[in-house]
Amino acid sequence: MFSVSHKTAFVVDHCPYMAESSRQLIECDMLTKSRSQGVIPLAPVSKSLWTCAIECSMEYCRILFDVYPTWKLVNYIVSDSEVHILNSWKQEDQNTHELMAALAAVGPPNPRQDPECCSVLHGLVAAVESLCKITEYQHESRTTLMDTADRVANRGRIICLTNAKSDTHVRMLEDCVLETIQEQNKRAAGSDRLMPIQQCELVLVHIYPQGEETLVSDRQKKELSSMLSSEVHSVRAGRYLASKLNVLVQQHFDLASTTITNIPMKEEQHANTSANYDVELLHHRDAHMEFIKSGDLHMAGSTSRDSGLKETVTLKWCTPRTNSVELHYCTGAYRISPVDVNSRPSSCLTNFLLNGRSVLLEQPRKSGSKVISHMLSSHGGEIFLHVLNSTRSTLEDPPSISEGCGGRVTDYRITDFGEFMRENRLTPFPDSMIDAAGRTPVERAKSQLERYTRYWPMIISQTTIFNMQAVVPLANLIVKDTLTDEDVLTCQKTVYNLVDMERKSDPLPISTVGSRGKGPKRDEQYRIMWNELETLVKAHVGTSERHQRVLECISACRSKPPEEEERKKRGRKREDKEDKTEKNGKDTEEKGWTTDSERLKGVMEREKDEQSECEIIKDSPDSPEPLNKKPRLATEEQQPPEKSKDDALHSIHPYLQLHASHLDDVIPHLCRHPLQALWSACFCYHCLKDQRTVCANSIYIRNGLITNTSLYSSITVTLLALGSL
Amino acid sequence: MPTVVLLDSSLSMTRPVSVEGSEEFQRKNLAVHGLTMLFEHMATNYRLEFTSLVAFSSLWELLVPFSRDYNTLQEALNNLEDYDKTCLEAALQGVSNVVQQEWGTSCPCQVVLVTDGALGIGRGSLRHSLQTVKQRVDDKKFPLPFPFPSKLYVMCIANAEELQATDSMDNLEQLINLNGGEGQIYTMEGPLCLKSVQSMFGKLIDQAYSPFHAVLRCGNLTSDVQVFPRPEPVTIDEEVDPIPKTVQTDLEIVGFIEIGDISSPPVLSRHLVLPIAVSKEGDEIGTGATDDTEEETSTNQMAGKSPNFCVLLHGSLKVEGMVALVQLGPDWFGMLYSQADSKKKSNLMMSLFDPGSEPLPWLGRMSQLGPASDAAENPYGEDDSKSPFPIQPKHKRSYAQNVTVWIKASGLQTDVQKILRNAKKLPEKTQTFYKELNRLRKAALAFGFWELLKSVAELLERECTLLPDSAHPDAAFQLSHAAQQLKLASSGDSKYAAFEQNITPMLTDFSGGGGADRI
Repeated sequence: MFSVSHKTAFVVDHCPYMAESSRQLIECDMLTKSRSQGVIPLAPVSKSLWTCAIECSMEYCRILFDVYPTWKLVNYIVSDSEVHILNSWKQEDQNTHELMAALAAVGPPNPRQDPECCSVLHGLVAAVESLCKITEYQHESRTTLMDTADRVANRGRIICLTNAKSDTHVRMLEDCVLETIQEQNKRAAGSDRLMPIQQCELVLVHIYPQGEETLVSDRQKKELSSMLSSEVHSVRAGRYLASKLNVLVQQHFDLASTTITNIPMKEEQHANTSANYDVELLHHRDAHMEFIKSGDLHMAGSTSRDSGLKETVTLKWCTPRTNSVELHYCTGAYRISPVDVNSRPSSCLTNFLLNGRSVLLEQPRKSGSKVISHMLSSHGGEIFLHVLNSTRSTLEDPPSISEGCGGRVTDYRITDFGEFMRENRLTPFPDSMIDAAGRTPVERAKSQLERYTRYWPMIISQTTIFNMQAVVPLANLIVKDTLTDEDVLTCQKTVYNLVDMERKSDPLPISTVGSRGKGPKRDEQYRIMWNELETLVKAHVGTSERHQRVLECISACRSKPPEEEERKKRGRKREDKEDKTEKNGKDTEEKGWTTDSERLKGVMEREKDEQSECEIIKDSPDSPEPLNKKPRLATEEQQPPEKSKDDALHSIHPYLQLHASHLDDVIPHLCRHPLQALWSACFCYHCLKDQRTVCANSIYIRNGLITNTSLYSSITVTLLALGSL
Repeated sequence: MPTVVLLDSSLSMTRPVSVEGSEEFQRKNLAVHGLTMLFEHMATNYRLEFTSLVAFSSLWELLVPFSRDYNTLQEALNNLEDYDKTCLEAALQGVSNVVQQEWGTSCPCQVVLVTDGALGIGRGSLRHSLQTVKQRVDDKKFPLPFPFPSKLYVMCIANAEELQATDSMDNLEQLINLNGGEGQIYTMEGPLCLKSVQSMFGKLIDQAYSPFHAVLRCGNLTSDVQVFPRPEPVTIDEEVDPIPKTVQTDLEIVGFIEIGDISSPPVLSRHLVLPIAVSKEGDEIGTGATDDTEEETSTNQMAGKSPNFCVLLHGSLKVEGMVALVQLGPDWFGMLYSQADSKKKSNLMMSLFDPGSEPLPWLGRMSQLGPASDAAENPYGEDDSKSPFPIQPKHKRSYAQNVTVWIKASGLQTDVQKILRNAKKLPEKTQTFYKELNRLRKAALAFGFWELLKSVAELLERECTLLPDSAHPDAAFQLSHAAQQLKLASSGDSKYAAFEQNITPMLTDFSGGGGADRI
């Protein structure tokens, strides 16, 4: 977590000698060569040692920030007669743009500055001081760990780009760093904002112009003390320096290289031809873990590259491409950085990916089957190399879900639960978004799921109300945490609509599964429906006073057989509570009603009633029609809008009559009907005529699915569109 | 997590065990008895585990390749023959090969070594192998640690005292250490008899083969489930947070996300989530595969017919192309989704993300994911055309922001040419000309490459002299203006060389129609 690579201090020498030319010439007057004669081409330009050092260190940072946008921090220091600290360890300072701006302000070294008062030593001392400074991450870890805060380590690396005089000079620099660490550690021990350095890696890069002999010899990593190790690289300026720093960034941050080969690209000149290109990417070496472990690194197409310094694994661009709705078994995803970010093949590949497309990558094999081992894909403007599992799965051939518990049940409310899932989709909230109760967004998500599932029958035949389009407005609202007055009104309208349906004896989608004959009578159907609706609303009655009002509305409006009314009165006396006249004392009866509903359904579905301890109400299919069928409105002022609604209900309730001799004739009509997506039903003509309950000859159609298809070959059916409101 | 049973079938395994009763047992019989018990347990409670059987002496042989057919395994066990001396190193190498061939190197495996603790003599003995372990050349490396994540369980048909009398115990402990401490040594307690071998294998079963039962919850909808293979504890950061994290037995769904939004996330491991029926006695009935006894079948049919939340969830996830985000513990999440295998069967699968507050950069911090309905505006759009994912990072990556890199000469040349190309098309290309010019200027200033600014200024001045007579008069003005500005910048004068400052097109009398608006 806090390894040496957590903190990197760059120290770049800004003394007058760094203004010296690298003697690597660059021709920038290319265009004129083929053009008009008589024009003398401009002299080539050459970068200074300083320019070489800066652009290579910037490239190091570019790769680092691409692959590790967080946790790996850079502090950039420039040293001449004084120290210029260009940024801090803060995460917001970690980007190349800020550094470039700061570097521009420093400018190139001034060759006329007095060399005597200039030294890279100032920078090295500042780097050690800086490594002692605590980073945000270290601070956070120490704060959370409290007692064991000492587990948080402080390690770091100093990369010094300079032009040294000799090996003795190098040793002098090393000694200075070692002494400074010892000094600073003493200081740090007594401070809260400082931490002693436990381990420091010093990487000295001596840069000298091309065509000169080096005065400093290369030296491998050597422990100078238990805290400090040092290594020396003596490199010629220009591309040698660039490739050295590229190798270093890979070593320092455990990077590895992958070359994507066979990328088809349109030619710039000839748009209709395409050629294959290669692009080299850097990423964390774990993306190659499978190759490394299996010893397949060479088999997988790894080749030593021209420089002879590093290896790259070759993976082949693979067609067909994959789509985003496929969920791959991916064991790792690592950010990438192209080695040659501005080259045309690189930018073509990265733009292709940034536009949202993904590419599967294949291991080139001499023979045998194609093995797809990786995938390139971008997420939010960042490109990742995904590692895909390419070996046999231990989970193959599992028992199908249909063979297990609940697997034989066929009428799950799959579509409804899909809708439920869409309503419960997640979205990111800003860090400060904590609600009044101090709950994080994820806790709010859980409590929403709890509310939404208080009453949620899993199968179609267990529910009536969720099969009715007419109930949808209420069912959608009642689960909410807060209701507006308008919401309450909508719920009440839903209830009145149901009352109206009952008055007109509209058939209900009651399950006839398991019932012999024609199933329950119409009035019983409504009783079951009302009971279920009450169960749903009661589950939410504690949420707010407005939820309570919805329940009150149902209790006031719903139909009840006469004996129930009497029992109610008795119950009210017993309860002896303050009661609005409109309420009709529902509270005491609620338990009974639930039981009633359960019992009736139990008869139909041959399921055992679990709430048998509740008192059983004497009620049979033969009981007389309920007397009180007129809706009682909860409050006077809500009556006017309800009336108009009522009228509307009459006007749009469409009965579509179809005469069909065969089932096949019915279905096309249904599908063409504008309400086809809603819950529709085809009823046996005779059932409809004498207003009886729906018989087995009726077909139910919901979302185009026919759930009961036993129909006489030649009957007249009527299509009834329910819930058209 | 597949299992390899590595059974010692050297001659020493035929040593008799002194039992008070009438029948005389060999150690081999005890080993077979213990393994039979293990296989029976797996066949009933862990039946999706792939197990293979390898017997070894001086040579090794794969008796049963990875299989879920415990009858075959049992049969092979019953027909075991006796061979010569123990040579563990070769056998472990064999196990390593067998596992890698079948599962690669990323799949965790359990190796159950059953031996009497007589680990051979001379060359090929474990003692000899361990003594030379540091002197190996690359292609003769000791097989431990295995290249795949593994647990090595050593089942000794011997008691601890016996093993401690020789150096066997030390050697076996060294073996576990070589495997990174992953594993355990079991010895028999008390006299060597059927009872003590049972208790030893019982401990192994408890340790390594106890099924993981949990409750899957989505608000008030719940289902009892078995998670297979069982999720193992995970240690994230050895240094700062060394306590291993375990998956809790309450798997709580927190919400749902589209497959396209979660977009093939990296996962630690994958597990089947199998609904189980917990009967009244408290023991569970099978997880779906066909059963032998009639009674069980009927119970299974009963369980099949009562609605189960897992089946509903699976169906809807499959139809909608979504995943359910599930909380596995504090700061640890996973996802549930429908996984179809090649045979058109599909199943509810759970993948575990890396523990931590932000396992997937494109989803952001997990604790900050909340219900979309809480947002002021529907983040998915009224017609489902939008998505709040992926989250955009604060800074663009280098490949997404047109950075300037001149490490290769060609990079610099391309940038200079772009300016010249646009210079020839002035005033139409004024905007692009200045955009490219300013990009080059910024980089040159940052890199302290003032020489380049002078050079490009000269190039532009020359372009100015080479303009054809037909050229728009504005072109000459813009070129000389740009050249002059570059020269001023190359002086390092802070008035002209500020990084954030841009060279703006010169306002000329012609610029009105020339598109030379300020940038």
